Amino acid sequence: MIAEAMPNSTEIITTLTNETSLIGTASTREVVQFFVLLIIAYVIGLVIAHYLKLRLSHKLKSDQLVLLIRFVRVILILIVVSFSLPGLLDLSITILALVFVALVAIIGLSSQNVISNMIGGLAMLYESPFKSGDFINTGDVSGTVISTRLFSVLIRTTSGVYVQIPNAQIYSSDVSNYFAHVARRYEYVVGIRYQDDVKKATAIITRILEGYTYVLVQPAPEVFVNDIDADSVRVMFRVWFPSVWARTKDDISLQTAILPRVKAALEAEGIEMPYAHREILFTNPIVTQPGPGGK
Amino acid sequence: MFGRYERDFEYSDADVKLRIDRSGTIPVYTRDCNGAHVEKYLTGDYNAINICPVEPVNLPEEITHHLEIAFPEIVLPPEVKQTIYLKFPVEIGVFFEIHREMGVLDILSLVPTRFSLYGRPDAGVITRWYRSDLYSCVPATDLHREGVLELALVNHCATTVEISRAVFDSHHMTIFYGERVGMTATMEVWSPVIAQTIFATTPPLGCPNRSIDLYTSRKFPVGPMKGYMMESGMT
Repeated sequence: MIAEAMPNSTEIITTLTNETSLIGTASTREVVQFFVLLIIAYVIGLVIAHYLKLRLSHKLKSDQLVLLIRFVRVILILIVVSFSLPGLLDLSITILALVFVALVAIIGLSSQNVISNMIGGLAMLYESPFKSGDFINTGDVSGTVISTRLFSVLIRTTSGVYVQIPNAQIYSSDVSNYFAHVARRYEYVVGIRYQDDVKKATAIITRILEGYTYVLVQPAPEVFVNDIDADSVRVMFRVWFPSVWARTKDDISLQTAILPRVKAALEAEGIEMPYAHREILFTNPIVTQPGPGGK
Repeated sequence: MFGRYERDFEYSDADVKLRIDRSGTIPVYTRDCNGAHVEKYLTGDYNAINICPVEPVNLPEEITHHLEIAFPEIVLPPEVKQTIYLKFPVEIGVFFEIHREMGVLDILSLVPTRFSLYGRPDAGVITRWYRSDLYSCVPATDLHREGVLELALVNHCATTVEISRAVFDSHHMTIFYGERVGMTATMEVWSPVIAQTIFATTPPLGCPNRSIDLYTSRKFPVGPMKGYMMESGMT
């Protein structure tokens, strides 16, 4: 048996020694060609990255640009692999496509969340509902966007908490971006007494608003009586600020800049903001009984 | 106040007091203006201090780089060129010079700042807003507070247009100073709602010195003189 097997073994060894292929039926030349193509794809990726940086650096935030560049480079590498690998491994495109579909199906079924987050990230990259540095509100979270990544968005809340929100979640929820427009309106309400002169109060408030640096001249501030409630006449004023200055949803500057000045100016002119009070009228005269000791 | 000062420097008037105190081991720059006191320490090897007007869009903080001047409405018939004079707010830049490098030490202004919105909130720009009267010749100004803008209005469209504001991009500004602070610009009207404002690089009469370009000194690249396209109307 051993003697019979020997010639075969010798043939195999001879065949292996003379074999120039490294993988399957691929020759050294084909393997080198594959790696050269990979290097070319890598270099083309670098060139495209440079071009995208030049063209889009002023339009996209750095994290969005990095994401886009990574995406383009991965796509390039995938193109090279998918066109070169079948020839290298002596596989038909059909078999490779079937393997690819099967792999995608398996990965897709086992990691639906990951895939949906990635798709959400790409969709957000395309639609750009916010950029890093913007102040947004989504679900229960309000904060400044630190970065947009492939699978999640990182947010720093006003209290300094680091929050990571999956892209799929943020893409399917309502998002309010407080920096998307260059100007933003804010509303304040003050109550004055019934006996106070409303025209005088609105004139004072208008003067204060027009004297404050960050209140925009256009659109002009609006001051008007909004409501007459049980205790006071409610004067509302609407003011536009530059979004960059009004840094967050409820930046403290929005409150401290205007309300103390308005209060001080109104009080200086004799206009007061009343406490809530109730006037009780008795239909029958009240009879008071003397207390102990005749008091 | 404007000019170049070799090392020692002191300026004082009713509104502002600037000084470099070299009595200690480290020179200290101090500024007293509008009730505020500012103090900054300098490295000892600076060569000079330069003071000149800068683009009026820096205070109280960098919110915008557009300047808007509102003025009484002027009616401009078709194919007519009219030169008007407007006042603009002056911001004063204090620069220190070290080995031919220029750095911003301080920026101050004696004029209150207001901001406005030109265009819609979603597509417009925030502007540094200033109200000026309209003059047919160079008006008298306090050169530490206001400069004079010589604005040539050119109506290229076939209809009469009304103009009561002009918006400029500070990246293209060229400010000159001398007996006053001045700029020269053109406003080309292309339709009743579209105009382009372009600054000229020629100095106005009486303003021979060119100011330091603040954005250049901050190493920001400055593009060609394209001007600003006003696409949201002129009134």
